[in-house]
Amino acid sequence: MRNVLTVLRVALAIVFLYAAYTKLRQPWLLFAMSIDAYQILPEWAALTLGHILPWLELALGLLLATGFALRYSAVGATLLLGLFFAVMLRAYALGMKIDCACFGFGEAIGPATLARDGILLALSLSLTILAFRSGQILAASQT
Amino acid sequence: MRKIVTAFFLLLAALCAWGAQLRSRGSSNAPILIDVYSDFQCPACKMLYERTLGPLAYDYVEKGKVYLVHHEFPLPMHAHAMEAACYACAASRVGKYEQVSDVLFRQQEIWAANGKVDETVCSILTPAEAKKVRALAKDPAIAAEVKQDIQAGQTAQVNQTPTMILTYRAKQYRIPGGNYDILRRFIDQLLSN
Repeated sequence: MRNVLTVLRVALAIVFLYAAYTKLRQPWLLFAMSIDAYQILPEWAALTLGHILPWLELALGLLLATGFALRYSAVGATLLLGLFFAVMLRAYALGMKIDCACFGFGEAIGPATLARDGILLALSLSLTILAFRSGQILAASQT
Repeated sequence: MRKIVTAFFLLLAALCAWGAQLRSRGSSNAPILIDVYSDFQCPACKMLYERTLGPLAYDYVEKGKVYLVHHEFPLPMHAHAMEAACYACAASRVGKYEQVSDVLFRQQEIWAANGKVDETVCSILTPAEAKKVRALAKDPAIAAEVKQDIQAGQTAQVNQTPTMILTYRAKQYRIPGGNYDILRRFIDQLLSN
């Protein structure tokens, strides 16, 4: 179980670090435009999130890579990926022809991007469950 | 023979470049170049045209800060998009590209449903212009010009419409979405650097 946990943790860390890298190397206003294109948030919120989100992804990536506060970082990653998946699904269902903005620009939302995010969400959920279970096993062995 | 073929392709490329110039707005010496790939039958392109390109032209293109170049990128899933692109290109030869683009976007829902591209375009032209545009729209050179635009888009990895690519100091930025307020902030930020 420990090996599976490590593989999942490192894989998701790479994904989050790469996602943060692709966003931080571009002007943040372009990422804010991508968020705005989803037509969910008001402009000020899209601008704020355009600033914050890449750094949040970087922080999550680093936490997952080091394994520090794993339960919290796994829950954070699952919530974030769940949110991404939901907004992408909504955009696709509404027939919006917009960029996914998951890893940089120029990738339109479609079945492939949805499948990829769905898989990442499933992996993150598995990591969260395993992180809590391994904690319980550790606690049980200590008592 | 080789020289003739080379000369032919050079001439074709020059004609296409000239065609693109006819579909551009502003000064080619502007610090920012924006290439727009769009499809006249695409609803998102209509929105971009109305909400973003209009104010962009007023605030930046006419003031010599942005050079706007339109590229035709008719999508195969839109039945009348290619015909509309050919008519728009043909209209550029009589200096009426902007007016024809405007009427095609404004009446998009109508001609997209009934297929009357010719009627829509010619409604804003004089009889002499309409005659010339009709003939040009059927000219294989115009179709080649549209195909050249599609190829240019494919080379630039355009996979959806509308796509805007901004070039500033040899660096390219793909503009996602069409929020004009954020785009304006971005352009101002670039120009202030």
